[in-house]
Amino acid sequence: MGMRISLEQSESAAQTCVDTIMKRFDGIGATASVEHHSNALKMAFVRISTPPQHWPAMAKTLRFDHGVNYCSMVTGTHFPDGGADRGWEVVYHMMRQPVVDQAPNTNTVHEATKLSGSDIPLELEIIITLPQTDEPSVPSVQKIWVGADWNEKETWDLVGIRFEGHENMHRVLNPHDSPEGFHPLQKQHKIRYHGFNEMYDDAQGFGRKPTDEDRVK
Amino acid sequence: MAQMWITMGPQHPMTHGLWTLRVKVDGETVVDTDAELGYIHRGVEKIAEARDFTQITPYCDRLCYVSAMTWANSYIYAAEDLLEVEVPERAEYIRLISAECQRLASHLMWLGAYGPDIGSLTLMTWCMRDREMFLDLLQELGGSRMHYNYPRVGGVKRDIPVGFADRLVAKVKLFEKRIEEYEMMLDESTIWLVRLQGVGYANAEDMVNAGVSGPNIRAAGVNYDVRWAHPYSVYDQVDWEPAVEKPTSVKGADCYDRYRVRMEEMRQSCKMILDAIERIPGGKNTNYSSGDEMILAKAPTRAPEGATGFSHYECTRGASQFYIQGGGDGRGKNPYRLSIRSPMFITIPYVAKTMIGYKVADIPAIMGSFDPCIGETDR
Repeated sequence: MGMRISLEQSESAAQTCVDTIMKRFDGIGATASVEHHSNALKMAFVRISTPPQHWPAMAKTLRFDHGVNYCSMVTGTHFPDGGADRGWEVVYHMMRQPVVDQAPNTNTVHEATKLSGSDIPLELEIIITLPQTDEPSVPSVQKIWVGADWNEKETWDLVGIRFEGHENMHRVLNPHDSPEGFHPLQKQHKIRYHGFNEMYDDAQGFGRKPTDEDRVK
Repeated sequence: MAQMWITMGPQHPMTHGLWTLRVKVDGETVVDTDAELGYIHRGVEKIAEARDFTQITPYCDRLCYVSAMTWANSYIYAAEDLLEVEVPERAEYIRLISAECQRLASHLMWLGAYGPDIGSLTLMTWCMRDREMFLDLLQELGGSRMHYNYPRVGGVKRDIPVGFADRLVAKVKLFEKRIEEYEMMLDESTIWLVRLQGVGYANAEDMVNAGVSGPNIRAAGVNYDVRWAHPYSVYDQVDWEPAVEKPTSVKGADCYDRYRVRMEEMRQSCKMILDAIERIPGGKNTNYSSGDEMILAKAPTRAPEGATGFSHYECTRGASQFYIQGGGDGRGKNPYRLSIRSPMFITIPYVAKTMIGYKVADIPAIMGSFDPCIGETDR
């Protein structure tokens, strides 16, 4: 039969992580909590929210004390209407993948239900909220996780969040000669027909007008 | 000897798509590399901000034209997390079967494209022949050969047709024999061994730290599969075990290990499909009408501001992830921000660095063994 990590295992791993994080980073404005997904299996994960200046210290703790060895995803979001305290948000998704030091020519496939402690895979979501500013920036964790390297490049390229200390930052998905300051996922860039449901409101497309028709080209 | 930069791509058989590998060579030896991506960046993440949750599925199909079903499923699990939907079990089984059929088709496409890279043209014709069986099966579900638009928030578009189960079982059983045929042809073929063994070593811990996932790390002995580690769907109810290859060298996995792990994974997918079709709730030869509560749960169409959805999914090339923030246009009908994590976007720069020290002629063998797909890389 197939196997999977049980809900209790994921909850206990997440709770251990949250407890130690809260003990270590008490009183700096960081919060950590055990959350559950809302789809079928309701698996637990750790949600951490931290001020940007404490993010490198937090990252080192996660990497070296908790064995979080896999930085899988970086998401930047622009909130132009989010108020003075919340103009930008950077969300890191991390995983703990127990690396098995498999000796050559051996055959030890471990079973999920027998895992315990720091061998249980763990999922983390780290939210860094930045104030309303024209030059958002967070410290880079490129040196801690190699996997953060191209994720941060992409986030700067598309959203325009600067990563302090990131070496060799360059455009990855946009062309290299894109204008400086052009980051297409910022909300002031509207895609054409934004807020207009062409499929239902105007199926034939007779009413379409380019949004920039009054501009001198 | 003087060193020089060579540009391989964007049009080069090694690239399996559109991207550029710049290689610095010293004679025949690679001393430095640099990857350039972004040639087919379509801005799916931006487009999604002007679409409602059902309309995004076809765009996710088109992220990777080789494994459309797994990418659409991957998005759907994130949308279900956001909208808090419970999926009926029959729909989960159908999704499992469709995703595993897609995995077989995708791995066959990989093997078929990898053969000519190495110099074995027979492989292309054999793999295309077998892939056709699974494309036919998926066509019965989704209605088209490559972009199915099949999963829905809360279930699937329509039930499996009557007679689908018999055709599925017959084809999968035939294919299980074909895997043995492939292995007889390849496992001890001199060309295959000379080109693959001892080439492209990648260490387990380096790969995990660099964010490489899926079959590529399982080839290096990391027993990590999203299907059991961050479980979704009904993978715990069917018979399978993760395909993990034991590298024969302390330096990590070589190209041959990565070939072996994909063959084993195909075998496990076959096992899973055969088991799942027998266990499917509601019976394998019943056909519920579209929208029946057995295959489609009612789902809300709007997500409030502040709600988030996240999915971690074992795609054919590694772990794909979607992160959705709710509360966009149309009073929450659209996502405010949809973010996609593509496994290959992270893997390609890593692979480019592992080529250092090998010969120029090894580049196609190394690159092909990681199964690159540029559609998902550039999004």
